[in-house]
Amino acid sequence: MLFGIPDLQIVLGYGLSIGLALACIVYGWLYWNEGDGGNGS
Amino acid sequence: MAVNTLTMTALVLLYLAATLVIGYLGYRKTKSTEDYLVAGRCSHPVIIALSYGATFISTSAIIGFGGQAANLGMSLIWLTVLNIGVGILLAFVLFGKKTREIGHRLSAVTFPDLMCKIYKSPVLQYIAGFIIVISMPLYTAAILIGGARFIEPTLGIDYTTSLILFAVITAVYVVFGGLIAVMYTDAFQGTIMLIGMTVLLALTLVVVGGWTAGATALTNMADLVPTALAGQGMTGWTTMPELGSPIWFTVITTLVLGVGIGVLAQPQLVVRFMTAKDNKSLNRAILVGGPFILMMTGVAFTVGALSNVYFYQTSGKIAIDAAGGNVDAIMPLFINQAMPEIFVVIFMLTLLSAAMSTLSALYHAMGTALICDLWGRGRECALSLKAHQAGIVIMMVLSTILALLMPISIIARATVMFMGLCACAFLPAFAVGVYAKAPSTKAALWSMVTGAVVWFVWTAFVHAAEAKPLGLCQALFGKVTLLGAPWTAVDPIVIALPISLIVMVVMQVQAGKTQPAPAIA
Repeated sequence: MLFGIPDLQIVLGYGLSIGLALACIVYGWLYWNEGDGGNGS
Repeated sequence: MAVNTLTMTALVLLYLAATLVIGYLGYRKTKSTEDYLVAGRCSHPVIIALSYGATFISTSAIIGFGGQAANLGMSLIWLTVLNIGVGILLAFVLFGKKTREIGHRLSAVTFPDLMCKIYKSPVLQYIAGFIIVISMPLYTAAILIGGARFIEPTLGIDYTTSLILFAVITAVYVVFGGLIAVMYTDAFQGTIMLIGMTVLLALTLVVVGGWTAGATALTNMADLVPTALAGQGMTGWTTMPELGSPIWFTVITTLVLGVGIGVLAQPQLVVRFMTAKDNKSLNRAILVGGPFILMMTGVAFTVGALSNVYFYQTSGKIAIDAAGGNVDAIMPLFINQAMPEIFVVIFMLTLLSAAMSTLSALYHAMGTALICDLWGRGRECALSLKAHQAGIVIMMVLSTILALLMPISIIARATVMFMGLCACAFLPAFAVGVYAKAPSTKAALWSMVTGAVVWFVWTAFVHAAEAKPLGLCQALFGKVTLLGAPWTAVDPIVIALPISLIVMVVMQVQAGKTQPAPAIA
């Protein structure tokens, strides 16, 4: 039982949700100034 | 109602006034057709993120899916995984940037227009426009009904008047201010949603005694799972359903995959990518978008499941029994009973914001599809501001009539149906279109048509959740569905999307062997 939840699949679901939200923050921060102009021409 | 009607009315009117003022600011900034259709292609990253998120998350995501989590448990958290992983990261990184670049280069102003210009095929624009104009009113009608159901008891206005008022007030700023007004108001509404859901999570954890105590109490309630649900594979609120059981198929194929993947090719969301000035704006939008979605669906599913603990501790009943068997009533009942009065007001504004932000985006997408992609395609009037305003009014009226006429049983399925159809019809052609050097028009046409037809056949004749209320299979063949279990629980997207994808890939490869000339100059 982890954090009151007995099923690791549910724990994994929560972990991935929070992890992916953090990944979005990290991605946005890392690429904050990348992608100027570039309209694919 | 915990809060008196006068206070609620005053706050709702204040909220509406603020929305209209922000919409007016959008109207003032709208100088050209490009402003009206793609927000001048220079939206701020935070506005893109909040607009995308607020459009993505409708009332049904909070009330409907929150109620489903109360009924079926925390397994719905896997939908949040897909909402963030697919709906934000994959959508922005893999599709958003390419869509923005191609949209800029080809001066595309709507999703069907983008498909037309990528594939150099007016037929594709007609087909995509037609699918939008036919299917989007269903989804719009569902949002209208959800909003009217909220306004009716909150402000004490009868249902029909509530529905018409809701439709007209939202249409006012969409018609006059176009996409700039829509995105500005979305950002305002998204902020309210973020505040509302954050407070909801915090107060719920206080009510159940913290995360571990609440989850443990919910785990210990496993033997209270209703017999009917246990018989279909539900094992508890903190465990996954039995693999391959009817509930497992419903949770994984319909709720998680159907909605999680369906979001990728929704025309009203794809247009948001074309409003970015550069890829830098989209990178920055991801930073806001991921946490925003976590705080929407992640919180709704968690609070929904934990509401069982509250109801059991206070009334000895599980959530679905406390709500009289109505899944949609669980979240409002929990808010009214467990939350302080002031939060009831905040949550009601959260719901109104969720409904209006999605509704305004749908009005804009439908109206522009009608004018730019169907009626005016290839003509000068396709870019007429007045024509687009008329198009939005026409689609608003049609959606309102549909909302007043359609049976509730069909409307309740509209969100899942719309997202499923979009994914099956558009996703393979859209994905290949933005990535292939020489995308095949023939492959895109066949993929779109095959995806839409297979989706419809499975929806009307196999998937029990839609086939039963539609009644087409019953009328033609004298039985509810043509196939038996487990197929009746398998969502149409699981069947139609792979077929549409196979058609696209096979024909694209074939075309690559015979037509090496690139479609995009």
